[in-house]
Amino acid sequence: MECVVQGIIETLHVEALEILLVGLCGAPKQRVRVHELCLKSGPNLVSSEVRLLCDLAKTTPSWTIRHVGGAMRGAGADQLSVLVRPIAESKASSTALRFFYGIGYKLDHEVLKTGFAFQFQNRGANLTVSVTSTNRMPRLHATDDAVPITPGIHLVEITAPAAPENYTEVASAIASFCEYLSPLLHLSKPGISTGIVPTAAAAAASLMSSGGGIKIL
Amino acid sequence: MPVKWLMHFQPNQGTTLTSQVMAEACAVAESFPGVSRDGRWRSSMTFYRAVPRDQSLPAPSDLPRDLIGISLHDLPNEYLFVMRSQRLILRAHSSVQTVMDKLQSYKGRFFINFEGLQYKWGDFKLRIGKCLYNPNEALRGIVMEVEYLPLSSIDKSQRVMEEFYEIWREAVASKLLAGQFINTEVNFVEYGLGDSYTPQHTAVLYGMCVVQVIASSNKNQ
Repeated sequence: MECVVQGIIETLHVEALEILLVGLCGAPKQRVRVHELCLKSGPNLVSSEVRLLCDLAKTTPSWTIRHVGGAMRGAGADQLSVLVRPIAESKASSTALRFFYGIGYKLDHEVLKTGFAFQFQNRGANLTVSVTSTNRMPRLHATDDAVPITPGIHLVEITAPAAPENYTEVASAIASFCEYLSPLLHLSKPGISTGIVPTAAAAAASLMSSGGGIKIL
Repeated sequence: MPVKWLMHFQPNQGTTLTSQVMAEACAVAESFPGVSRDGRWRSSMTFYRAVPRDQSLPAPSDLPRDLIGISLHDLPNEYLFVMRSQRLILRAHSSVQTVMDKLQSYKGRFFINFEGLQYKWGDFKLRIGKCLYNPNEALRGIVMEVEYLPLSSIDKSQRVMEEFYEIWREAVASKLLAGQFINTEVNFVEYGLGDSYTPQHTAVLYGMCVVQVIASSNKNQ
């Protein structure tokens, strides 16, 4: 299970966001370069979708198989400002793509996500804040030639693993952290767009001029 | 990772495999000088079948019918898939089983457990086990896994493994077991595997061995 919120920020403000995150998280910045392949079952198989993530940031690429379930529904879920959904993941060998092709899955689409991320704890929850540009590839698997799908816009995502017995606390930890970012961007449940924050330019200018003099969380 | 060989017991023509063979094979191992019993072992195998979108129809022929998943006794946090027809292996964390459950496109149709006794004999580890159909525990075969601890190179260990195999065959023959142990021969290169032994090699061995075990079991019934 995981809790997740997303938001967008103009690319020209990403550097300011990074300064803010360095101060808030107290954790080292991690480079993100993930080739994400979305596979769907062929017409003969029970309908299902699986994602393969190839982490290209490291010297040796590593693969993860990921299944994302439907969002939690109901009155309790509606009251949360974060989305809660079941997740199943597994590290796998580099034969993962051939394997899923072999059992009847087809490539639906692929993207390359590039940017950076921070992993840290807030109120006992393990948060990951990632700031990425989503890129498409002009030819199959051509990650070196990828170009941004929305030039000038970066996606900010905060995720945290959760369990049935603690997801409300994890949601609260994410929500409280979001408040620190509110001058620059608003984060909400995926699919509910809040657009670009009007105060972003001023907040970014302030961060760039202060050079990162932010109290650490 | 140390090299392993995997053998299965081939009963003589017209004889039926019984649990007695397991006891006799263990007695052979226990007769080796300096051998010590080293606990029990258990690996398990799942045979998967595709779930067609229209379940009133049989599974389409373009989907694999030989997908197996293996949980090995010495790697409890991992799970391996083998598709012999495509010479394909996937090694993953054991949580991949949860992913497959969520996808629901393939379901386990029947299951086989390999379980038995483990022995230490010098630089060798021997695992003799029953091959049991799950859930009714019907005996389908007897297998023996032989591990040579000092070497991880398949080529370099070939001679010592062959020598052990001869010792084992002679010991089994001298005890008049109603059959013999046959080694599982695999061309690992076809699976993209190299000389350095890995769990993927073990998965391929089990995938090949179980086919021979089931064929032998069906023939002798």
